[in-house]
Amino acid sequence: MSAELALLGVLATPVLQALLVLALQRPPGLRDVVHIVGALITALCALRLVGAAAEQESVRLVLAQPLPNVGLAFVVEPLGALAAAALSGLGVLHAVHAAGMVRATQEKAPARLMAFIALAAAATMAVAFSANLFTFFVAYQALTLAVFPLVAHRGDEEARRAGRTFLATLLTASMGLFLPAMIWTYAIAGALDFQPGGMLAGKVDIPTANILLVLFVLGLAMAAMPPLHRWLPESSKAPDPALVTIQGLAIIPAGGIGVIKVAAFVFGPALIEARLASLALIGLAGVGMCVAALIALSRRDLRERLAYSCMAQSLAVVMGALVALPMGLFAAALQIVALACAATTLSMAVGTSAAITTRRNVEDYVGLGRVMPWTFAGFALASASMIGMPPFSGAWAKLWLITALGAPAGGLMWAAALVGVAAVLTFAHLGPLAASALSGKAPTDAFKRPDGASILLAAPVILGAAATLSLLVLADSLARFLSPIWNSAP
Amino acid sequence: MTAALDLMRTHAALLPLIIAIVGAALAMLCPPRLSWGLATLAALLCAFVTADTSVRVLIAAAPLWSVAEGVPLLADGIGLFASPLIAAVAALALAASGAVLSDIERRTWPLAMALVLCQLFGWLGALAARDLAGVFVAIETAWLASVALLAFSAGRTALGGALRMLGAGGVGSALFLCGVGIFYRSVGTLELSAIATAHIESADAAALGAGLMLLGVALKAGVAPLHDWMGGAFTRPGGPAALVLGTVGVIGALAVIVRLAGYVATSPTIGEGVSIALAVLGGASVVIGSVQAVGAHNLTRLAAYAGAAQAGGILLCVALGSPAGFAAALVQLTALAAAALALFGGAAAGGVQSLEHLDGLGRRAPLAGAAIMTGAISLMGAPLTLGFLGRWRLVEAGVGAGWWWAAGAVIFASLAGVFYGGRLIERLYFRRAGDLFHGPNDAWRWALAPMLAASIVAIAFGVSPAPLLTAADSAGALMLGGLP
Repeated sequence: MSAELALLGVLATPVLQALLVLALQRPPGLRDVVHIVGALITALCALRLVGAAAEQESVRLVLAQPLPNVGLAFVVEPLGALAAAALSGLGVLHAVHAAGMVRATQEKAPARLMAFIALAAAATMAVAFSANLFTFFVAYQALTLAVFPLVAHRGDEEARRAGRTFLATLLTASMGLFLPAMIWTYAIAGALDFQPGGMLAGKVDIPTANILLVLFVLGLAMAAMPPLHRWLPESSKAPDPALVTIQGLAIIPAGGIGVIKVAAFVFGPALIEARLASLALIGLAGVGMCVAALIALSRRDLRERLAYSCMAQSLAVVMGALVALPMGLFAAALQIVALACAATTLSMAVGTSAAITTRRNVEDYVGLGRVMPWTFAGFALASASMIGMPPFSGAWAKLWLITALGAPAGGLMWAAALVGVAAVLTFAHLGPLAASALSGKAPTDAFKRPDGASILLAAPVILGAAATLSLLVLADSLARFLSPIWNSAP
Repeated sequence: MTAALDLMRTHAALLPLIIAIVGAALAMLCPPRLSWGLATLAALLCAFVTADTSVRVLIAAAPLWSVAEGVPLLADGIGLFASPLIAAVAALALAASGAVLSDIERRTWPLAMALVLCQLFGWLGALAARDLAGVFVAIETAWLASVALLAFSAGRTALGGALRMLGAGGVGSALFLCGVGIFYRSVGTLELSAIATAHIESADAAALGAGLMLLGVALKAGVAPLHDWMGGAFTRPGGPAALVLGTVGVIGALAVIVRLAGYVATSPTIGEGVSIALAVLGGASVVIGSVQAVGAHNLTRLAAYAGAAQAGGILLCVALGSPAGFAAALVQLTALAAAALALFGGAAAGGVQSLEHLDGLGRRAPLAGAAIMTGAISLMGAPLTLGFLGRWRLVEAGVGAGWWWAAGAVIFASLAGVFYGGRLIERLYFRRAGDLFHGPNDAWRWALAPMLAASIVAIAFGVSPAPLLTAADSAGALMLGGLP
């Protein structure tokens, strides 16, 4: 398969998958097979693109020319290929898990749920492979619109309110902050194409660079930067398969990819000019990490706790991207992979547990690991990764992040300390929970369903947990793979 | 066939006007349903004739013909671009009105159809007139036809709305006439083509005259804050009056503003004053229209207010006074036409009055729902729609001229669009359907389908807009003195 075809495949397959899922709603088995096979083909295409990026093949796809000199274009580069491969690979597990969830919970509109999950995957792939700011903006908006129906899926007043908050926050930030930044960049650089080395390098003065950086980073509200993070906890009451998409596979990773692309491909060395803004944003992200992890500690509902926990992890990506060092960019890229693995696994585990036991509160988890050992083993491993415990993925990402922040060139020991404090707080809100679930006394009336969790619900959790070990063996290779991003960066 | 085509092209300036007015006369003489068919056919013919000329001149770069009819007509870039747009919009609105004619007493259908064609005649005439007197007469023809059409709609509210329109139109006409008088006194000519080279005795008085003329037409185009009449006119949204007024009327008046501004705002002596007046009015319209659209509870009023915001954007483009600005204005005009067709057509198809009627419409009437949704996202300025393209061109032209605040106004309009557009989409697809469907329910409802489909396609044209941009750029350049 040619790389161009793979790029088209990674973008078009999820859309086709969504249409087929809607068209083939009955029998449910056929619908589920289509959903899983679609996710699998997407992952295979993404894997092919990793190969293309590793060999530095030039792969570009222009779908339309909606503006003079600006195309709706996609390009294969290492960051996009890595993110797409990780997210689409986890997407296969999610597809299997979603098939199990809609059966276990007797979901009323399973096809709609699966179709919008697939559309969100398509938009995420488009974000990852976007070749310019305009395409990124289009894909970002498409992702927002694709996930909105997932947030409002239940259709009651609470879900509609969450949907409104989600849509209003993300669209307002992107239209009110990101779009002006994009226009301003176009006025300065005369182009919108992402360039290793930064399209603004050498073309922007200090005040403009600072303002632009703030507009770009806050405009990417998917990264959950305070104070534009309310959509994340608000959307935590969405159905469990939707939560996996929001927290692990689409929205939060897309925000992270956006921040890295802005730092590496829009600013590049010009990030030095925006030192004041980047310091302020790193400070805001660091404090936000700690506060989010602290709020997570106070939440009894697991979905809310995970939402704040994911917010804390997402802010680590922002810190890494803005530190203006290759090490920081590397840490941010690793953190996206680590966050995707851990958040997907945790969300799936919480979903499995809720589907089988109807338990969602922290105090109800005591001893559940005794009756659902596979699910809670996965939960524990993913929690360890989220906390940053070696040898799991989160550990390597945080290690690189702390190194980048604390290095003499970074000179931000206080920021490194904030990352450390956030890790301790993450341990406090996830560690004891996992421990009590596995070591507490098993409840006698745990199961709503006497046969427990089906393999469709348990296997993806275990495989997702196994994926959190990926960076243990891949970190060195990834450093070489990702090096074109920062070879021209500051 | 070729001979007929050549003959048509020889008389291309006058032919659309003749078709429209003869069509109107014939429609009045026909039985009710036949009058609808005849009027639709006449509008389609107008669209074909005007589009043929526009494509040849603006896209194929054929030389601009000189008008040799003995009638005072003047072909220019804006007229060439806007005429087929208005004729096409009128043809679609007329075709769709077949489904909602029951809003009017059956025996007056022929008269209503004739009035729609009179509107078309008026706006096409204003876009082709050679002097300001001709422009005035043509605008009045179109406006009075609009008022009469609304007055024929069922219900006392329609009559009240027509009276309000009549009053507002009277003020607009008075402003225009005063402006023409002052302008003539200072410039010494009413010929549009002579304004740029005329010896102007008093630049301030000439600018005042031009400003009053533009203000008079802006009132009829529903530019905020001069759009008070809209509340009454769009009270009853399902009928043909609102459908035609919200599409043909608004687009026609805005096109005439763009054309007039092309002559007065580019004059070296008075251009600056006119430009400032247009920019202030445009900025105010963007803000006021957006805020009113956010608070609207009636779909057609929401569309009208959002249209006022879009009209403000068009005035901002025109105020730039550059070819790029005029090209941007024409793209925005096309975007507004497509969005207005989608929203007004969707409202008519779904029998939607208040926003509550939209609940679940996406499932009950998928085509109407899709049309309203695409109209909403285009008004929001979502990427890959004509709305985004229009705003991008405005920002590009504005930033090029150092008008950063214009970019701010566009972003404000987009942010407001997020709220009202998001509200529409939420109601369409995420609310339980009520039993509020009052739309046309006979076989004639299919008459709305082409309009809705065309509007969706037009908005989707934002993905690949090269021919539109070429035509708009050529029209802007032609207006200011030559093809690019």
